[in-house]
Amino acid sequence: MSMTNSTRPFSILYDEHKVPSWVWWGVWLVLMVLGTWGVLQRVIHGHLPAGYGSYVPWGLWVAIYFHCVGIAGGTMLVGAGGFVLDLPGFRSRRLLRMTIVLSAASIACGLMGVWFDLGHMLRAYTIYTHATFTSMMAFNSWMYTAFCITAGIAFFLSYRRNRSDWLKPLLCLAILFAILFPSQSGAFFGVVDAKPFWNSALLPVMFLISAITAGSALLLVIRETLRPTDDPDTPDEHDAALRTLRIVVVSGLIAYFVSEFAELSIAYWNPTVHAPAVELILFGPYWWVFWIIHLLIGGLIPLIFLSTQSRGLWVVAGFLVAVTFISTRLNVLVPGQAVGEIRGLQEAFHDDRLKYVYHATLMEYLVGFFIVAIGMMLFWIGQRINGRLTHRAETSG
Amino acid sequence: MGMNRREFVRATALVGAGIAGATALVVKDRATASKTRDPVGPKTIRSLTVLNNVPKQENEDLLIRMQRELVKAMSKPVEQRKWVMVIDTRKCVGCHACTIGCVAENKLPPGVVYRPVVTEEFGEFPNVQLRFTPRPCMQCEQPPCVPVCPVSATWRRPDGITVIDYDKCIGCRYCLTACPYGARTSDFGAYYTDNAARNNSNNADHAIAGPHAAWEDQPNFEYAKNWDRSGHQSPMGNARKCHFCLHRLEVGELPTCVTTCIGRATYFGDHNDPDSLVSGLIAKNNCQTLLPHKGTKPRVFYIV
Repeated sequence: MSMTNSTRPFSILYDEHKVPSWVWWGVWLVLMVLGTWGVLQRVIHGHLPAGYGSYVPWGLWVAIYFHCVGIAGGTMLVGAGGFVLDLPGFRSRRLLRMTIVLSAASIACGLMGVWFDLGHMLRAYTIYTHATFTSMMAFNSWMYTAFCITAGIAFFLSYRRNRSDWLKPLLCLAILFAILFPSQSGAFFGVVDAKPFWNSALLPVMFLISAITAGSALLLVIRETLRPTDDPDTPDEHDAALRTLRIVVVSGLIAYFVSEFAELSIAYWNPTVHAPAVELILFGPYWWVFWIIHLLIGGLIPLIFLSTQSRGLWVVAGFLVAVTFISTRLNVLVPGQAVGEIRGLQEAFHDDRLKYVYHATLMEYLVGFFIVAIGMMLFWIGQRINGRLTHRAETSG
Repeated sequence: MGMNRREFVRATALVGAGIAGATALVVKDRATASKTRDPVGPKTIRSLTVLNNVPKQENEDLLIRMQRELVKAMSKPVEQRKWVMVIDTRKCVGCHACTIGCVAENKLPPGVVYRPVVTEEFGEFPNVQLRFTPRPCMQCEQPPCVPVCPVSATWRRPDGITVIDYDKCIGCRYCLTACPYGARTSDFGAYYTDNAARNNSNNADHAIAGPHAAWEDQPNFEYAKNWDRSGHQSPMGNARKCHFCLHRLEVGELPTCVTTCIGRATYFGDHNDPDSLVSGLIAKNNCQTLLPHKGTKPRVFYIV
């Protein structure tokens, strides 16, 4: 496709030579159709088709929530950080806006995930009217809101060159939030003394590292596959951006695995309370999530791909990291809950919802598809708006 | 650094304000967390006439004694009562009457249980021992479930009972994960007769004509309110837990688990009353709490 900016003023900013648009639309349509079926099940039958219960109260949707807000924080941290630091490949305001759109779409996905998980979805607004900041959940919710407002102002400010003295300071504030809420997602679990596996000071650090890693990986994928036909960056700058993102992803992967080893080794060699949760991660029914999805597909293969000079392989690696790093959330979330403090409680009163096991159901996966489809749609809409406003700003001088 | 001095100063000011604002929000709520919002003082005194016509006798049944002590405690302002439960594991026979009594009293749906009885088996035949541990809500003095609630839907009353406002609870289930005793369960909206045979004809012999049996739509009266779950109303979708049958206490009745215990293994009363049965039992050295290392200071004691 060789249309210029003047002939395609409202383009979605993807290079159709990289990935044909019908692929994106096809993927979106499949996710949306399947996801809508899942959402209908959720609306009609409530929580009954879901796999979580009272002893493992959080499942796939909460993992999606933490993964998406992590990606939102990570993309903003790296993209806006690069802009503030004036790094090659990150200087373009148009690409900064793309980062903000990606971050906002991701945070919307995360919030949608936790919204579907609520017992009373229509009361979600009370987290603003009756918030208690002793709760990490309320604190994080306000943090997302502050982040979205800050990023939104920065988004629109980036079009106005004569008031740009506030742009970088606002981005610094957005970066602060982008550090706070992914790390506080770790604290969300860390403060729960009832779950020995969660009660670790390392969790906030690990959550921040995984957020930066997954966020950078997604940014790498988006910047390479959805590169604007009228990219304001020169090929050298674009190349420099990809190389920077590649270094961040590789560093993030190594840092995460080192932290994870530290966490698991201390827990595993401790012969008492922590071991059951770690046994579950390594050798329990979901052993394949750790060994195959997390370590192999989300770690080893991306590291090999990123060690090459092939951009195509970098994109594949980025995609694998961005998707499979949800396993880092699941591997904290589920094992932490699946070990009860009181022996025999599960057998004391029999019910499917009173078990220390969790298997995500079809409905949960389908709703997950819906969330991803909505995220894609929001990103597309955001980019349309970005393209339209960019065109208007450029034509108005 | 791609910022000029003015941008740097503004960035520092914004980031500083952000950190200060976030810290202030948390510190403010931490500082006021222990303040009660329930009514206290003389207006909370209950003048109950229960057992007025039953003359006091020596060696009367423990249930009668505990009920008298309950009436006495209710004649004090709420902040001067300190409800505790004592469970004698040596007397518990694992009959689960308390569990079922609680389910009936509070009309608990499937998957919701306030007082399961944990059964543990030790040793090998013929040297086998069974231990039964009823596990109500511990009504902790430092309840970990309270500060994690994002909307203040759960709190500790002045008499020590941790309660839930079903109309405020958003059903996030954070409190479920925070309780080390697993004492909170979520009402996911199930009915016992969900999968029962339906009446597809006009045969009146079939018990279930609607989506579930009509008796499952009967309201319960927790917290002295009329709770109707139909139409996904609260407490459906909420966290639920034992509340020491607060609605019964208010009218001078003992918690259901106490009155249904066939072995008189569960005791209830006011720990602030030095003459109460529970105060005497707790003072003995064979009384202990569950998971004391968690620092929650439970108000349910076990005699072992």
